Order: sequence, then C-alpha cells, then structure tokens
Amino acid sequence: MASEGEISLLVVVVDVNPIWWGQHAQSEPEFTLSKCLDAVMVMGNAHMAMTRTNQLAVIAAHCQDSHFLYPSKRLKGNDDTSSSRDGKYELLSVTNNLIAEEIRDIMSKTELTGNSTDTLLAGSLAKALCCILLKTVVFLLAQEIKSRILVIKAADDCALQYMNFMNVIFAAQKQNILIDACVLDSDSGLLQQACDITGGLYLKIPQKVALAQYLLWVFLPDSEQRSLLVLPPPAHVDYRAACFCHRTLIEIGYVCSVCLSIFCNFSPICTTCETAFKIQLPQMVKPKKKKPKLPA
Amino acid sequence: MASLSEEVLLVVKKVRQKKQDGTLYLMAERIAWGPEGKDRFTVSHSYSDIRCQKISPDGKAKVQLQLVLHTGESTTFHFANESTSRKDWEAAKELLQQLLPKFKKKANKELEEKNKMLQEDPVLFQLYKDLVVSQVISAEEFWANRLGGINNGESAACENKQEVGISGAFLADIRPQTDGCNGLRYNLTADIIESIFRTYPAVKQKYKENVPHNLTEKEFWTRFFQSHYFHRDRISTGTQDIFSECARQDEKGLKSLVTQGVKNPMVDLLSLEDKTLDEGYGISSALPSTSHASRTVKESSNFAIIKRFNHHSAMVLAAGSRKRDVPADQASETSSTDGNSRDSDFFQPPLKKVKLQEAIEYEDLQQENRPKTVALNLKKSDRYAHGPVPLQSQQYTTSQDIINSVNYIKHEMSNYKPNLTQVLSSAAASSAIAALSPGGVLMQQVAQQAINQMVPTEIQAELKHLYVAAGELLRHFWTCFPVNTAFLEEKVTKMKSNLERFQITKLRPFQEKIQRQYLSTNLTGHLECMLQAAYSKFHIWQTRRMMRKT
Repeated sequence: MASEGEISLLVVVVDVNPIWWGQHAQSEPEFTLSKCLDAVMVMGNAHMAMTRTNQLAVIAAHCQDSHFLYPSKRLKGNDDTSSSRDGKYELLSVTNNLIAEEIRDIMSKTELTGNSTDTLLAGSLAKALCCILLKTVVFLLAQEIKSRILVIKAADDCALQYMNFMNVIFAAQKQNILIDACVLDSDSGLLQQACDITGGLYLKIPQKVALAQYLLWVFLPDSEQRSLLVLPPPAHVDYRAACFCHRTLIEIGYVCSVCLSIFCNFSPICTTCETAFKIQLPQMVKPKKKKPKLPA
Repeated sequence: MASLSEEVLLVVKKVRQKKQDGTLYLMAERIAWGPEGKDRFTVSHSYSDIRCQKISPDGKAKVQLQLVLHTGESTTFHFANESTSRKDWEAAKELLQQLLPKFKKKANKELEEKNKMLQEDPVLFQLYKDLVVSQVISAEEFWANRLGGINNGESAACENKQEVGISGAFLADIRPQTDGCNGLRYNLTADIIESIFRTYPAVKQKYKENVPHNLTEKEFWTRFFQSHYFHRDRISTGTQDIFSECARQDEKGLKSLVTQGVKNPMVDLLSLEDKTLDEGYGISSALPSTSHASRTVKESSNFAIIKRFNHHSAMVLAAGSRKRDVPADQASETSSTDGNSRDSDFFQPPLKKVKLQEAIEYEDLQQENRPKTVALNLKKSDRYAHGPVPLQSQQYTTSQDIINSVNYIKHEMSNYKPNLTQVLSSAAASSAIAALSPGGVLMQQVAQQAINQMVPTEIQAELKHLYVAAGELLRHFWTCFPVNTAFLEEKVTKMKSNLERFQITKLRPFQEKIQRQYLSTNLTGHLECMLQAAYSKFHIWQTRRMMRKT
C-alpha cells in the first residue's frame, strides 16, 4: 500500500477510434466498445476504492480530438445526478455516470472529415501529462504525488505522430511518470519504446473479453507494489532506426556527419543537407612489370 | 668476503650480533659484520638495501644500533665494548647517517611507486594477486606495461616542484623559553637557520667567516641572539660586536631601497602623507622635525622599530623572489634586493602604457574572433519527424467501410449504459489468470531472468576476478598480433602458455566448485569461448609460420 498521505494518480487513456471499433464490433460482437469501457470503469473504481487519496482521470482519444471523460466539466454543473440506488460509494457512482455521459456525447458528435483515420494518441498523452502536472502543482504543498498513465490501445500506430510521441515519452521520463500499455490488437513499436523508457509495463492481451482481469491483475498495482509481484517480463524492444530514404528499419547504415540523417545505401551527396562526401578509393596495388624478354 | 679493493671506512671491535662477539666493518658500499676470530662476514648489507637505521635512546644501558632493510628484515648490533662503546656507536651512527642518503637508489623509489599503485587501485591489487602471486605470469611482465610512464613523468614532476618560501614570522617563531635560572633557551631548527641565512645574507657571510674557525656554531648563535643586532632597539654604536657591521650594512641597504622607490608607474607613494590632527586641528602648521636631536626618546625608539620592521619585510620579500642559485655576492645583494632593478627608470614609459591599457580594455567585451563556420542547410527537414513505417502491411479501408463503421458505433454508443456486474465471466477470468501465472502463455521468460538471484554473491565476485584476470592476459596475447619481431614471437608463445596455465590453475577449480554446488547455469561458457578463440588463433599462426619456413 502507499504510505500515509501519498497520493497516487492514475490516468487512463482509452483509444475510442470509431472506425476501428466499428469494424471490429461487426466482426467480434462479443467485445465492443461498451464492454471495453465497462472494464475500464471497473478498474477505475477499484483504484479509487483502494485508498481514499487515490485519484483518477480518464481521457478518450478520438481521431478528431481528445476529451476528458473524467473529471469533466459537467461535474460542477449538476447536483441532481441520479443517486445510486444500490448503496455504492458515491464517488464511484458519480464517476461512472459521468464517464458514460461523456462518451455518449462524444460518440454522437462524431463527424467524418475523411482526412484522418488515426487515433490522436500523442495529443491525448500530452493532455494526460498536463493533467498530471496540474494535479502535482495543486497537491505539491500537501503531499507527494505519484502518477502513471495507462494507455489502452486499439488502432494501429500513426507514423506522422512519431515526433510528438517521442517528445511526450521523454517528458514523462523526466517527470518520473510511468507509461503502461495494454494493447488489444497489433503490437505498437512506439508504445513498446514508451514503456521501456519510462519503466512501465507493455502487454498485448491474448483475449479481449478478459480485459478486466488483465487490467486488475497487471495494471492496477503501482510501481512499488510491482516489484513484489511476479508479472509478465518486459518484451524485447526494437530500437532500430528507420532510414530516411525508404523508412525501413535498418541495423547497419550510413550516417551523414553533418546533419545526422541515416541512409541504407551510400550516396556521394547527402540528400538532406547537400554535403558532398569524398570517398577514399582502396589502394590499387600496381602489378609488377615483367621485363620483356630480349630477343636472342 | 671483503674484496681488497673495498675501502674500509670504520672498524668497530667488540660488536655483538645475535649474542656473538665480533667486529663491525663499514665499507664504502656496504656494512658487514664478522664473528670474532673468523675471517668471513656472516652479515653483509649494501647501503642501498637499508631503509633506515634505528638507535637506542640515550638513557639505556645497552647501546644498540638496528638496521631496517627494505624487505622488512632487521639486524641489531650491540656495542659491547665497555669503555668506548658510546664513542664507537656514535661514530658508526654518524657515518651511516652520511652514507645512507647517498645510496638511496632509484630502484627503491620504483618499489615504492609500485606499492603505492597497488594500494590505490584495489582492482589492480586483485589482478596482481590473481596473476603474480599464483604464478601465472611473472612480476616483470605484470609491471612491464604499467611502469612505462612513471619514470618519464617523475623527473618532470621534480622540476616543477615549487620552492618553499620564507615565513615572515620566522624570527618570532623561535620563542625563547626561560631556563629556570635566569637564562633564556632558544630553539633553533634547521629551517629557522635557513630562513635567517636566506633573508639576511650578511649574517650568512659572518657565519661562513667565523665558523668553525673562530667560534663554534653554538657560540655563534649565542652571540647572535645576545647582540643588539637582534634586539628591538638597535642602539648599535660602539659595541665590539661582529654584528655591528651587519647593522651598518642593513642601514645602507635600507637607504638604497628607499631611493629606488617603487617600480609601479601607477603608484605614487610620495603623495601620501601621514597627517594627524594634532594640536591646532590642522590649521597650525607644525612642521614635523626630521632631525634626530629634536625627537623624544620614545619617538626615536618607535622610529627605529618601524625602520627595522620595514627592512625585515623587504628582506623577506627579496629573499623569496631571489633564485636559489644566485651566488651570494654581498655587495650586490644588500644594495639591489631585486637583482633586476637597475634599469627601472629606463623601462618606465612602456610599462605605464601597458598598465593603462590593461585597466581600460576588457577581453570579453572585444569583438569575438571565432573561426568562420558554415551554416547548416537542410533541404528536407521533415524527414526527421517521420517515424518508422510499421513492417506489417497497411490495411486499406474503403470510405464506405469507414462510414459504415462510424454509423454502427454511433448507434451502439447512443444507448450505452454501464453494466458493471456483467463485465467478466468466470471462464474468461480463469483463462486470463492461467495465462498470467508462471508457466503461462505470457510468462515464458520469467525463469530465465533471475540468474543473478540464483548465484551466490561470492561466486559472482570470484567470476568477476576471473574475468579481470583473463581479460588482462588476453589483452597481452592479442596485442602481440601481427607478429613482426622476434620479441613478439617469444611473447606470443609465452602468453599462450600463460593462458593455458590460467585455465588449469584458475578456471578448472572454479568450474568444479560450481558443479559441486549444484548450480546448473553455465557461468564460464563465455570465458572458455574467449580462450578457445585465442588458442585457435595461435594455432593458425603457428601453422602459417611452419608453412613459411618449409
């Protein structure tokens, strides 16, 4: 358990890409976005129920923008939210209702622009970091605050967000914020790197229907408690760089000494900074001249 | 046996060593002792082997002299002659004191350097223990690479040693103590004597003249302290003192110092005046009289003290800046205390200019003269922002698919109500738990990762030492290639035998030890691999050499 007065903040970033979810809901009807959100709520409730000082935040990462599901602006508005009829801890019921309202709202306002079909994950992570920073500042005078981010990822990686992603990862590392990743569909190299760098856990789930179990078993304990548990070992991360010409991952390549751009083949001029390279040809060994035989 | 060409410096009869009577001989290069009646020397040490000598204190009945060698052994000689034991012992001691410093060879310094290196670096010490003490390689090979830089660096360090200056308070440090019966006891050390000689070359001159012909050293110093020269108030007229001349010379020196003035063109000492608000509050102009006669007694003694202090300080500063090897020429030293002050007038104008220049200009406010740099010109900088493309093929979705999916999800979520009691079925939960337990689908690598928890720490430490030792040997081995000279050939063969010896004496026992402890992990696999690579390289080299020769 966390020590007296220590605040633990969990920020869950849920990938609610409607296109991906829509497609998969049609092929796998037993695991839909509703089920996923239910599992997230279960985990959020568990986290808040563990200690009174635990804090929760949920962000939905859409392909148009990212929203805070909890805490949301509606919090301040209505006091007449339906009180729970089953005697639940009021905070939990309020949280759940808010999340449900928000996601319904977001989904109904989904518009197709046709440009982007990728989840804006980097932006959501950046919002999560800002939220953490805000909470940290608020609580700074009172107690220590430990934060971590859990990313539940559905759609594929977007290569365009690479730079922003890496910036977010390094910012989190500097702030000692763990980034965990729970991947539903295909492996994501960026998230693997994020987990490796910040010290979090990366897990690709074999069964989506048991999402709640995985969340509670692996991602609910915080970093101190994880050292006492036997959890899945970290995966091998592919840190290979991509060459600038083809964007393929290479192990050995050529690097321009001026602009540090990576190429898979040698070319005498660097295409990024237009520096000309001088090549040293290997020394040619001159064949020994044979003395012509003098005619007798 | 003493060779005839050795010069015997001192013979002391009736010296006992290990309860045996005998004779002690001090020769030019060694000290030897032979028992009574025999011609041979049983104990012989050359002076370079002796680290130091120890003497028994004055009060003891037994007069003994102990020689401590560099190796740590010590030999004790007991001077047993009843009448002359004291004298003999003193003579022997003095002679040894003079001879020993001469024979401190450089080799001893090397030994000390080696010891220091071993003490400072524990890794090196461990390596030394592993390799040399267990006789895998010899000590010379071990030190061959490491001492190379020491002999070169040492002489440079000696040259850059700073000279020790003179403390300004050295005269005050003498601190006379009362002797009990109306006398004073002055403690003079060699340092103080040296300071006095360096500051007051006149005294040094007198010392050279008088000692040891006229006066003993003790008498000289007694007279020195008794003379008015040393005292505060130097009323130095008339007394028949060897030091009265010194006093006169000092006066001369001081006068010349005053006339020289200060070399700094920016400082004008003469414009400073000592104005005190005497009677009249500055209005009445009572000219300060400078003649001796009109002064009061107190004023003149103050004047004398201040003059002496100034002179003393000037001498101390001059002695500190004077180089050691300047010959002690008495006349030149008292008149020009800096040695290069004759042409101060000549150099004044340029010096003043330089000083003014320094005061006006600041180096870091000037224009910077950095070398010209070429600006970086990036044509396609968006390349940096693009991440790697995932290896799997992209799934292409048609726009119709997209529309359908979005509509579907909108429809689904419009009626969303959290149903938290039906989130997880027990079958799904138990299969998830099974996957997460050790041995499950997701936990395959866990067992392999705790190797450092399975091996005890002593074994880990020993393995580290083995690696360091093996690394050192392999480094020596591999630097021999390419084998160009005969020396390298020899070395490479020797290194190979060293490696084999290492494997037999160190590696095998370690492996057996691990097996005895039932550790199944293969800790020495990599070491064996490295050694095998070295052996195969050696083998290849050898066969090539044979082929070349045939």
